[in-house]
Amino acid sequence: MSFNDRIAQGLESGWNVIDGATLTENHTAEADVVIVGTGAGGGTTAEILAKSGLSVILVEEGRLYYQKDFKMDELTSYANLYQEGMSRTTKDGAIAILQGRCVGGSTTVNWTSSFRTPDATLSYWVKQFGLEALSPQAMAPWFEGREARHSMSPWEMAPNLNNDILRQGCEKLGFSWQVIPRNVKGCWNLGYCGVGCPTNAKQGALMTTIPGALDNNATLYHGLRAERLVMKQDKIDALQAIAMASDGITPTNITVTLKAKHFVVAASAIGSPGLLLRSKLPDPYERLGKRSFIHPVNASVAQMPKLVDPFYGAPQSVYSDEFNFRDGVDGDAGYKLEVPPLHPAMSAGVVPGHGDEQTKNLASLPWMQSVIALVRDGFHENSTGGTVSLRDDGSPMLDYPISDYLWKGLRNAFYTMAEIQFAAGAKKVRLMHLDSDWYSSWADAKAAIDGFSMKPHRVRLFTAHQMGGCGMGSNPEESVVNGFGEHHQVSNLSVHDASIFPTSIGANPQLSVYALAARNSTRLAQRLKA
Amino acid sequence: MTDPLTLPEGQDSISLDRRSFLRTGLGGALFLGTISVTAGLSGCATSPAGRLGAVETRMDARYKFQFLTADDIKLFEALLPAILGSALPEPANARRMVIASTVERIDAGIQKFGPANQKELRQLFDLLNLGVTRVTIARLWSPWPNVTTKQANGFLERWRSSSIGLFNNGYMALTKISNVAFYGYQENWHLSGYPGPPEWAVQALPQFRKA
Repeated sequence: MSFNDRIAQGLESGWNVIDGATLTENHTAEADVVIVGTGAGGGTTAEILAKSGLSVILVEEGRLYYQKDFKMDELTSYANLYQEGMSRTTKDGAIAILQGRCVGGSTTVNWTSSFRTPDATLSYWVKQFGLEALSPQAMAPWFEGREARHSMSPWEMAPNLNNDILRQGCEKLGFSWQVIPRNVKGCWNLGYCGVGCPTNAKQGALMTTIPGALDNNATLYHGLRAERLVMKQDKIDALQAIAMASDGITPTNITVTLKAKHFVVAASAIGSPGLLLRSKLPDPYERLGKRSFIHPVNASVAQMPKLVDPFYGAPQSVYSDEFNFRDGVDGDAGYKLEVPPLHPAMSAGVVPGHGDEQTKNLASLPWMQSVIALVRDGFHENSTGGTVSLRDDGSPMLDYPISDYLWKGLRNAFYTMAEIQFAAGAKKVRLMHLDSDWYSSWADAKAAIDGFSMKPHRVRLFTAHQMGGCGMGSNPEESVVNGFGEHHQVSNLSVHDASIFPTSIGANPQLSVYALAARNSTRLAQRLKA
Repeated sequence: MTDPLTLPEGQDSISLDRRSFLRTGLGGALFLGTISVTAGLSGCATSPAGRLGAVETRMDARYKFQFLTADDIKLFEALLPAILGSALPEPANARRMVIASTVERIDAGIQKFGPANQKELRQLFDLLNLGVTRVTIARLWSPWPNVTTKQANGFLERWRSSSIGLFNNGYMALTKISNVAFYGYQENWHLSGYPGPPEWAVQALPQFRKA
């Protein structure tokens, strides 16, 4: 068996990669910069800093999985590549949280959609949070740079039928639709982005910035959990970390102490506030963990007259922004419309049911089509987001209450999704709500949605985009970091991930994370080299 | 719709803070912090079942249960026929095998859930396994090995249609881990018409080649 992929070759060539599970005694290491997290933010930061000549240590709690492990199998991938074995939820259990936990973070398992931060969002940040330097014009070159680095471009092949049905429905109803830019190179159009790209076509952190950093002498620890940042006077002195056993979930008693001049936290919008809270870092205005956003997602499934095979082909290639900013950036809750891939385990987890009814639901999977709506949260006074706090054992959890404002947006999204599916020729439509039946006409579906009880648990809700919790802003009383991701109170700490977004994005966030991390790391490199 | 919290006549209300009950997650704070202790005192199995004999597992004596207790296994053996319905094979032997292997994959999946969700599931399972709460919360009079598929289905329907979010959440937890473990498994892919990864890609990719 021979592998010629970037990771196998790099390991062969002597990259500094340390598996926490192989450590047998406590040790200490030192670098110019320690980076916690290897996803979109951590990977970008590591590559830019390492290329500038700084010594870099990367810390990842999850394990290193790559092509040899990516066998297009849902159960194995969900167990190993996702937070809490794909069982992570919000505090009350009402919202399923899809989030990566492996080298490359969520970029290893995302569906490759690559959108710039919408102009309306950036302009809102300029106005509301004093972030003048993040205007659309100022950010454009950073988006361009990252689009090149990650091979992002609108998908050129025909969309699979699952996505094309969204296009057809929008066409029929006069709604706008567009082709999704994807970060792929030589994509085989298989449909397995969510379980680890089997062909290395996906240009996430795992195939780009992580190898780039390691080629430039960075050190990567995986299977190593960042426990706490330890302050000495007014600066962070060290990161205390704990090695995980080879199962990836059991902490060992081996500790690793990592010292550095500067620390970058990029452990996600749940992990980063969690680490800062555990570390009891200064938070004089109690902003840490507040204003967490998730693009709450609801879904609709349809039975189509033709075979859809929703498990094959690029998972996301068509979207509609018809309703995203329709009522203004801070008006009624807007939503982006996309399509999810449907493999058997994913479908069995998304479509609620049991017994013969469920047997029938899943037996018709090849004819099933699904639309999802991603609600844009955080732009309205009645959408203040959730809160990350710590459990007794120190692990972070997200509490996300759904306001009436968001429920209204979610109900509107149910109407829109059903209408689109019927317009595209659906025989039957079922909304992902415990009250929903299969409906055979738009009129029936509409009448039923009118009566839906919009409550936690009855509405099936998901999030694949976690944002906020270490929000940026010019006013330290209202934010955790400044517009460069620099911590307001701790001078040798930066945060370089989606946790710094002061609102949600209104689009899949990976490019927003890459671009801000690139911009802020370029500045950080200059600062540290000066 | 009946309220599952209504107790059978003549029984005292068990002490539970209804508001915290409604607020919390899968089992949440509930009164379940104490249930695990009570379960232990009352003779419920509280430690992972480990390796069961071939007769007990009816399948693979090599599998070592790391999370599910002997009582949890009985719970799922009673629930799975109601959850999976006609997706389960008819012949008794095949049926037992499929149920046993699904319970094993449920255990393996929960292994990766991590401590926080494991704690919530522990509380949920203990709640369902302990007699007094099985009767009051699930409204099932018989212990799980004696619960018929029809009764198990009734329990699932009650939790699904309940106006109490916690029961909806319990319904989702039980059905979701079962459905995912069952339909996601290669041997059951045909039940959802999924042919598996494209054969041409499997042929072409190095990770599928034998050493």
